[in-house]
Amino acid sequence: MASGKKFKVINPLLTLLLLGIAWELVIRVSNIPNYVLPPPSAILAAFGSYPWYLTYNLAETLTSALIGLAIAAAFSLTLSIPLAYSEAVRESVYPLITGFNAIPRAALVPLLALWFGLGAAPRVLTAFLIAFFPILVPTLTAMITMEKELWEMLQSFGASKGQILIKVAVPRAMPYFLSSLHMGLTSAFVGSVIAEMVASDRGLGYVILSSTSRLDTPLAFACLILLALTTFLISKVLSLVERRVVGWAYRVNI
Amino acid sequence: MEPAIRLCGITVRYGNGDGGLVAVADVDLDVMPGEVVSIVGKSGCGKTTLLKVIAGLVKPVRGELVLNGHKANTPHRGVGMLFQSPLLLPWRTVIKNILLPIEVLNGDVRSYLSRAYELIEKVGLKGFENSYPWELSGGMQQRVALCRALIHKPSTLLLDEPFSALDAITREEMWGLLQEIIEYERCTTVLVTHDVREAVLLSDRVVVISGRPGRVRSEVRVDFRRPRGLDIQYTKEFNDYVAMIKSLIGD
Ligand SMILES: Nc1ncnc2c1ncn2[C@@H]1O[C@H](COP(=O)(O)OP(=O)(O)OP(=O)(O)O)[C@@H](O)[C@H]1O
Ligand SMILES: [Mg+2]
Repeated sequence: MASGKKFKVINPLLTLLLLGIAWELVIRVSNIPNYVLPPPSAILAAFGSYPWYLTYNLAETLTSALIGLAIAAAFSLTLSIPLAYSEAVRESVYPLITGFNAIPRAALVPLLALWFGLGAAPRVLTAFLIAFFPILVPTLTAMITMEKELWEMLQSFGASKGQILIKVAVPRAMPYFLSSLHMGLTSAFVGSVIAEMVASDRGLGYVILSSTSRLDTPLAFACLILLALTTFLISKVLSLVERRVVGWAYRVNI
Repeated sequence: MEPAIRLCGITVRYGNGDGGLVAVADVDLDVMPGEVVSIVGKSGCGKTTLLKVIAGLVKPVRGELVLNGHKANTPHRGVGMLFQSPLLLPWRTVIKNILLPIEVLNGDVRSYLSRAYELIEKVGLKGFENSYPWELSGGMQQRVALCRALIHKPSTLLLDEPFSALDAITREEMWGLLQEIIEYERCTTVLVTHDVREAVLLSDRVVVISGRPGRVRSEVRVDFRRPRGLDIQYTKEFNDYVAMIKSLIGD
């Protein structure tokens, strides 16, 4: 068990390597053409052929997804405070938000492009529109499910609802808020990539679309791997931030 | 002398119409300044409700709450509350938990700092100021909660089964500590408890409530000088009080 930590890193990498070898072998034995399903060697070759092109487009996707996520986080946190404060506000606004969330956001991209052109704006907006809901819901729920006795105790000191909310309910919701950013992160990437596919001339979404139309499937796969890797790494960074900022919430090692 | 707390014909109802429930009815109760009064009675008879009425957290449908001669019906800063569970905030250190009431009220936290340290020392937690609540035992957490209840120098301390989650030995320690604190702070104290021995040991008067709806059934004055040592429990008078109060609760 002493080397458990080392295995935690090595084991998944080993699994990945074995899967890659198996994949390579299956493709070679079965003669599936590269444009249908490229073997890992062809995908690696694509990385080698287009290093700067991929880097540039990754940077585009990353920027719009992260800006969208940041706006979604700020928006959700800010909005959850009045929603938590007043049941009346909650009852009149929350159903609208839920209703909006039911719209497939991909369908909005052409409209966003019509209004904002083909620049970064529609990509950032799509990322934001998809990412805010999975952040808002857990954050708000954490704020409005405070222990009744704690609430009463603070009230008994003469504290107002707003004061209790800011000093207790909001910090109490922070672990939920931060962990919801993981969901928000993947949603934001989905948003950016969709917008790039529908209305853009850059970004990994655009590269996937254009490369598959040229039957350059290895390049599309390279994009997918980049997306997965980037989201994974940012998620890890988020986890580190979580442990630092709200370590108190993880005092039990489950 | 004017009573510190006067309940006058207090009736509390939860919910309206047929689904409503009268939790307590026509309760009259006076508590003199500095007095320690315990409220005992069966589970669900309305003890917590009475405490909340005194804190201004529950509005009676009938009757009046008078504090030091002034009518009151909203939460007021004159009370400190302690519940069965310490309800400390896990992201705040001991000292910051204790100062929470001051902070929430946008008070000058720094001018209360020395009081906070003084209380911490009084309850025997010196050295734990910067620990987090989850690093403390249950008894220690309840001591922190007691400091928090007292930080704003309330004239009245309201305790709702404050020690029932603690083991017997810790509970006896807390009895001693609470007596010291009450003596030192000169608080008027209302204690709700299920433990009749605790009620007799700590209070000047024990009020027995009968249930559904809660009414004052009887009052027993406990004639021991305060503060009281723990060995008083083994005297005959003490056990006579306990037996009498138990029989009053019983039927
Ligand atoms: N917020 C509430 N809404 C509706 N009914 C309530 C509420 N709080 C208490 N009650 C009811 O009022 C009655 C008295 O409750 P209360 O909590 O005052 O009893 P208690 O004497 O403190 O009981 P226990 O000893 O179990 O703590 C109970 O029947 C309870 O069901
Ligand atoms: Mg109770």
